[in-house]
Amino acid sequence: MSRKALQLDELLQKRKVIITCGTGGVGKTTLSAAIALRAALLGRKTVVITVDPAKRLATSLGIAALGDHPTDLTAHVEAAAARLRAQGAPAPSRIAGSLSAIMPDTRRTFEELVKDLGFSDQGASRLVNNPIFRIFAREFSGTNEYMAVQRLYRLHRDGDFDCIILDTPPSRNTLDFLNAPRLLTRFYEEKVFHWLIVPSGKIAAAGMRKALGVLERLTGGNFMTYLMDFVASLFEVQESFTRNLHEVTALLEGRHTGFLLVASPAPEHVREVGHFTSEVERHHYRFDGLILNRTLGYLGEPEHLPPGPAWQEAAGILRGLQARERRAADELKRIPGAPQPLQLPELARDVHSVEDLLHVALALDRDSVLH
Amino acid sequence: MPATGLQNILKRPLIFVSGKGGTGKTAVSQAIARSLPGRVLWICFEDPTRPPGALTQVGPSLWQLNASAGPAFAEYAQIKIGVKFLAQVFLQNRVIQYLATAAPGIRELVLLGKVWFERRHYDHIVCDMPSTGYGIAMFRSTGNFATLFGSGPVHRDAEAMNATFADPSLTGHLIVSLPEEMPLQESLELRTFLLDLFPGNEPALICNRLMPALPGTEALSDLDQGSPLPRDARDFLRRRSLLERENIERSWTRQGFQYFPLPFVAPEPGREHEHLVERLSTLLLESSR
Repeated sequence: MSRKALQLDELLQKRKVIITCGTGGVGKTTLSAAIALRAALLGRKTVVITVDPAKRLATSLGIAALGDHPTDLTAHVEAAAARLRAQGAPAPSRIAGSLSAIMPDTRRTFEELVKDLGFSDQGASRLVNNPIFRIFAREFSGTNEYMAVQRLYRLHRDGDFDCIILDTPPSRNTLDFLNAPRLLTRFYEEKVFHWLIVPSGKIAAAGMRKALGVLERLTGGNFMTYLMDFVASLFEVQESFTRNLHEVTALLEGRHTGFLLVASPAPEHVREVGHFTSEVERHHYRFDGLILNRTLGYLGEPEHLPPGPAWQEAAGILRGLQARERRAADELKRIPGAPQPLQLPELARDVHSVEDLLHVALALDRDSVLH
Repeated sequence: MPATGLQNILKRPLIFVSGKGGTGKTAVSQAIARSLPGRVLWICFEDPTRPPGALTQVGPSLWQLNASAGPAFAEYAQIKIGVKFLAQVFLQNRVIQYLATAAPGIRELVLLGKVWFERRHYDHIVCDMPSTGYGIAMFRSTGNFATLFGSGPVHRDAEAMNATFADPSLTGHLIVSLPEEMPLQESLELRTFLLDLFPGNEPALICNRLMPALPGTEALSDLDQGSPLPRDARDFLRRRSLLERENIERSWTRQGFQYFPLPFVAPEPGREHEHLVERLSTLLLESSR
């Protein structure tokens, strides 16, 4: 009944797209960077799309200068590996593949999408000047997520990389970002726009006329005009928009794409695993496995501690967390069809150099060919 | 420099508890709600483990609400439209239903609207805000809709909500952080953002899950060296405890930011969350005396 344990290296060698999901605070950004680095060590031309990199990590990776186009970090990694070897630490002598990173610019991706959709010059300027669009492009909480998926799609289409890691932005519901394409598809399929571009005087259905009348009264001013204008713009590119949505969905559903869930080793997080796997399956995506990050069990029992109540208290906290981890593991076993997780160690400090990232990347699978 | 004390914030009728995901906002906000006097409502948003819109009494004068966009939207439309029949036509209309789920910001606006409407029925409302990015989108939604709906009832409500959240006599903002580098930094970014949006309403900072200070540990100089992976349990505890203090010193104290410390509470099997909330609310009560 329990599925096969996650074989990270096997995945990194075969998937073209790996999407890491998880709630905030589980160390997903660092982990995604480490996974990408490991794929590069395994020989793949890898790019990590990172939405929210830690500032110091970013600076030491040269990411401060990173933008919407992939920056090749392979030379940084090789230099860091050489420094580690000079200190006598285990590190590979060469990077078989390559590592790049990008931090997508939501606005730019949006503009490129608009261009791709084949708007007329007039249509494009009408759209970008619409107040609804302007707020949508800047503020909509789902826009970053949706644009990250669009950036993924473009990178895949351009074909410069053979392994793309997408670090999804944290959200309460780990799959929120997948809903945006579906909502947009519904917009066309249910012909919602139809009602909004017909002048209200010509709407025969009394209920529809009443409902839109109420909307107009509540929103006041020019909102209905903006809305009709916005809808008419989207109507203009229905065909190419629908094609884009289908292609994006096909990429996400395709056999080269897999989803990894990153969670912390606490019972309440483990309970979400069942929900996540069923959501992934409902969307016809491929669930590739569970990573329990920041585990403490590997440290063992705190021993040889200096005397004093503070040390005893600290040891008590650690023991409590280790016991909670065991409860989480037990709970996971009780979930039907739950995956066997890959357990990753909690670190003693933040990761803030390429060397640190190499340490983490090498620790992802201690039994692997890389050792 | 910023020095709004926690106790000052806790006197206000409306308290928003914000912060990065995983910092323990839920337990901290629940502990605050338990420690406050009078009729208190604790609100969380779209919690998938509770029924949408459910209001439960959990203490003699303490209630919990799982604010959800669906019920909140229906309730708001009912209040604004007034006529029951017309509200039904409006809510059952498929174009309206589509816009209510798909239109950017609507969910955020009605959720904050729910908080704002409830404020009249309680002495204190404590909100467990979603993690940073989404929390920011919620606070921005009021300004966006005030702009987008140039006039009319929704415009007026959005403006009034903004004014309430910006008024230090009505609303307090708390930011919960952990003693790790990234959360500490992001908390200051969140503070700047909140001050931009609500000028003059200085948030208070909480640092949660602090390990005890360990005596007899070596100097800090070697902490950034070597592998970030600890050698053993003792090495982990030593480096953690020292690094936490160094992180807070570097990111907050040296810039003049004060904070309220909350200790790491060892998890208690079986009733971890309840135990944590009890411990934290006891600490908050003690500190208010």
